[in-house]
Amino acid sequence: MAKIIIHNEKVKAHDVLVNLCPFNAIEFMDSKITINSGCKMCKLCVKQAPDVFEFFEEEVRRVNKSEWKGIAVYIDHVEGDIHPVSFELIGKARTLAEKINHPVHAVLIGENVMQAAEEIVKYGVDEVFVYDETELKNFRVEPYAACFENYIESVKPSIVLVGGTTIGRSLAPRLAARFRTGLTADCTVLDVQENTDLDQIRPAFGGNIMAHIHTPNHRPQFATVRYKIFDAPEMIDKPFGKITRYTVSKDLLKSKIEVLEVHDKAKSESIEEAEVIVVVGSAFKKKEDLSMAFKLAALLDAKVASTRPLIEKGWMDAKLQIGLSGRTVRPKLIITCGVSGSVQFVAGMKGSDQIMAINIDREASIFKTAHYAIVGDIYEVLPKLIERIENERL
Amino acid sequence: MNRAYKKIDQEDIEFFQSVIPKSRLFIGEEIHEDYSKDELAGVHRYPDVVVEALCAEEISKLLKYCNEHDIPVIPRGQGTGLVGASVAIHGGLMISTIKMNRFIELDKENLTLTVEPGVLLMEISKYVEDEDLFYPPDPGEKSATIGGNISTNAGGMRAVKYGVTRDFVRGLEVVLMSGEIIQIGGKVVKNASGYSIKDLMVGSEGTLGFITKAILKLLPLPKVAVSLLVPFPTLEQAVETVPLIIKSKFIPTAIEYMERRVIKNAEDFLGKKFPDASSDAYLLLTFDGNALDEVERIYEKVADVCLEAGAIDVFISDTQERQESIWSARGAFLEAIKASTTAMDECDVVVPRNQVAKFVKYTKEVESLVDIRIASFGHAGDGNLHVYVLKDQYSDEVYTQKLKEAFDLLYKRAAELGGHVSGEHGIGYAKLPYLVAQQGPVYMNLLKGIKFAFDPKGLLNPGKVC
Amino acid sequence: MEILVCIKQVPGTTQVEIDEETGVLRRDGVASKMNPYDLYALESAMVLKEKYGATVHVLTMGPPQAEHIIKEAYMMGADHGAILSDRKFAGADVWATAYTLSQGVKRFCKPDLIICGKMTTDGDTAQVGPEMAEFLGIPHIANVSKIVDVTRSNMTVEMDMPQTVEVAKVEFPCLITVEKGIFQPRLPSYKLKKSTAQLNVQYYAFRDLEDQDEMKYGLNGSPTQVKRIFPPVGNDAHEIWEGDSDTLTNQMFNALMRLKFI
Repeated sequence: MAKIIIHNEKVKAHDVLVNLCPFNAIEFMDSKITINSGCKMCKLCVKQAPDVFEFFEEEVRRVNKSEWKGIAVYIDHVEGDIHPVSFELIGKARTLAEKINHPVHAVLIGENVMQAAEEIVKYGVDEVFVYDETELKNFRVEPYAACFENYIESVKPSIVLVGGTTIGRSLAPRLAARFRTGLTADCTVLDVQENTDLDQIRPAFGGNIMAHIHTPNHRPQFATVRYKIFDAPEMIDKPFGKITRYTVSKDLLKSKIEVLEVHDKAKSESIEEAEVIVVVGSAFKKKEDLSMAFKLAALLDAKVASTRPLIEKGWMDAKLQIGLSGRTVRPKLIITCGVSGSVQFVAGMKGSDQIMAINIDREASIFKTAHYAIVGDIYEVLPKLIERIENERL
Repeated sequence: MNRAYKKIDQEDIEFFQSVIPKSRLFIGEEIHEDYSKDELAGVHRYPDVVVEALCAEEISKLLKYCNEHDIPVIPRGQGTGLVGASVAIHGGLMISTIKMNRFIELDKENLTLTVEPGVLLMEISKYVEDEDLFYPPDPGEKSATIGGNISTNAGGMRAVKYGVTRDFVRGLEVVLMSGEIIQIGGKVVKNASGYSIKDLMVGSEGTLGFITKAILKLLPLPKVAVSLLVPFPTLEQAVETVPLIIKSKFIPTAIEYMERRVIKNAEDFLGKKFPDASSDAYLLLTFDGNALDEVERIYEKVADVCLEAGAIDVFISDTQERQESIWSARGAFLEAIKASTTAMDECDVVVPRNQVAKFVKYTKEVESLVDIRIASFGHAGDGNLHVYVLKDQYSDEVYTQKLKEAFDLLYKRAAELGGHVSGEHGIGYAKLPYLVAQQGPVYMNLLKGIKFAFDPKGLLNPGKVC
Repeated sequence: MEILVCIKQVPGTTQVEIDEETGVLRRDGVASKMNPYDLYALESAMVLKEKYGATVHVLTMGPPQAEHIIKEAYMMGADHGAILSDRKFAGADVWATAYTLSQGVKRFCKPDLIICGKMTTDGDTAQVGPEMAEFLGIPHIANVSKIVDVTRSNMTVEMDMPQTVEVAKVEFPCLITVEKGIFQPRLPSYKLKKSTAQLNVQYYAFRDLEDQDEMKYGLNGSPTQVKRIFPPVGNDAHEIWEGDSDTLTNQMFNALMRLKFI
């Protein structure tokens, strides 16, 4: 196995070396450089000071990669209602499978899910492995893991893709632990090499660093992926995949968890939690006109927030104010409608991933911060955009 | 000061247009509503013309012309003031500095930063902190311009240890009403060369000259900051502990006091819980230094002082998220109180630090005496209190009456305790009567004499300060 | 009730930058701190302790400096703490970390309930808790947003799902990972700092653990390897769209589609 060997005789400036490590894993103690348990094996030190730090790889445990064939997607669902991330993963799995000539599998675990299996086939998988039992009505980790284990044992897939949902992030680690293999969370890029090694890229440090990770000596290779990272595939004209039902022994369906109730989640009112925000600004002439913003927000599953002037007019609640003295938001998307962009406001939203700003004034200061500056009148753009999205939904 | 000024006419506008291009000049209807007010509620007046200046030379030409033609000039930053100091109460020409926002020089050998007046406070802290330097004045409104900060001698939280804006201004470039451009002070550390015009200019609220450049003093950035949140059984006990802390000689960077009900307002406003709910009154102390053990040694002494004085416990805030959980609430107090009522006005008195307890106690008496809700929080460590008189359910008439009653009592009491009308927000237009009442004619005549020396025709920001 | 909270020391800030050319990582001088998500786990334990009576143990894996966060946990009301520290644990990925912790738990205490934060701010994986539960052979519930009830033999919690909330009863011993915001974490107390100053921290090394197979710890026990780290691509788009409202609407609509918001 691999390790980092330290050539202490070559150490010149130990303080420089200690600072090389982003994880504070290099220490200088008893006049020797050592590596502590903080080490993540990122090998930055080897790159930076190759004379002192040497990466050394011993004979590794070899896995026979040709024994592991197939790319599996765990179908995430609540009572047969499939989470769209699963389709996106099927799309990705098909692309990867094509490269290495593997089949694409879907693993579906639940109660009364045969109909869902029919739907999955339409997206071009080769086989759906269905575990359909009363005990599997709600997600409970032990029986679900037992079924998934049964699938992996019997089929030996090379790669397992799981949605980064509550269920996926609960289930995948249990199986990775059980199969003594690697699991890479929240991958944003996936690719596969000819030898079936999965290249996985994921963010760390709250997205400030990207890491390229692989699992060279273990199978299967687990990866979780969040919703809306990959594209959903088109349905295929002539589904060809087969649906097979599997069972496990009743013993394995026992659980120490009892699901008492499943209810819809109360919508959070807080704008800080929102992934998409529509902001209303001074360009709205009447309170009634705000309905345009609410309509757009409903279509985008967004929250409506406000700038200070509208709050002072009493049109919007003070809790919805974005800005230095209000709330700071970092949504995935923010659409500002008729907001001029005062410094106080911008300071409260400039960390947003995507900023679209609609303003009639080309010189509006919000355009300095916006990724997409839309020079137009909200009274024309908003109704048309709403109509366009509504038509798309039909 | 109710004299008649010349009303701006077409000829004047043509002159302004010869100095300032159309894109930076706004007349009548074109003027954005923001320019008609500042953060003081109730005072609205549009200037006749607004220009966004780019340099001292432009301002010089405008001032010279206005001086010759008897036109009032109002300097303007971000308009975040609380006393109406940047409202054009007599109309006239408003000159905004928001486009004069360049960093001119960071001099690491003299530890000074030279900036234009429109640079924002929050931009300054970020700029210098990236270089491991520190501009200590820390007023609550981070989106204010440095020009505005200098004009009100803004204070902020860190005044206890570091002092106020005046202590960090080394030099200024100022355009006088006559149009002359003068340099005041400079990068020098000491200066005994006659009257300190620099110190007069700081805090003059744009009535003596137009600041077009500032040389600020910087310090090395302290590496460690720790806050202590100290719950007390009563507000009196909390505030009475402040002089004991000062006496201990282990001086925190900031000492703030806060009450449960104001915290509750902030919790509602932000939709976030404050990290402690065990008590009705708190002191919030901050310490900074270069090493954690050094800061720890100091805060432990102060923590012991607090416990001996009856504090329930002392909570330690030493990480970014802990600091945020406390300071985001503290930062939202003003807006949160505002959101909790229909209208409010504020008194920003300053009293000697050992009198803070008496004054805070008195606000409670005024609350029941006048029968109006009063919220307060403030910089207990420097004696500067922010007391808000809230309108709530009252009609405009009743509120105006009650507000006057409450303010008269509060300002009178502050004066009795050896205090002054304003700690950091200034006099502007709104607090002028209280300044006159407290200082009397001799003092006010001195101010007027100073004003006359700089601006004999009284055209620069008229109706403010004196 | 015996409650174990797993905590981790993480860098004081996530504001790190990396130079793509040289691979040098820039970080400012902010010291280490307790993983912010663990504060919620610890607070949950403290609330349960106050309500139902419990002994709260804390466990971490890391270098000896990680003792600092155990002391901090004492200042927040934890009763008993241990560190798993050994050079043999270096380079651990999720699997090896979870395995080492589970071995540590067996040595350290017999918890009815293990509480973990949802994730850490340096690794962001949210997997160590569930993998530990697997190694300990106990059930787990992740993303717990509310604790509804606790009895002698089980607890009822709400699990946060994308669209729904699942109310589930789970038997002890079990493991839960808690969401940010389940409770507002308390601040460390100076009074407790003084009264726990002498309270010791238990150290465990590789030789103290039951499983003496070196191939299951640290880098040897890690199935995943980091090939390289690099800076993320920021969003530096800056487009100005002008034209009639139909053109603008079109452009906006297409962008929303491309960015998967429609």
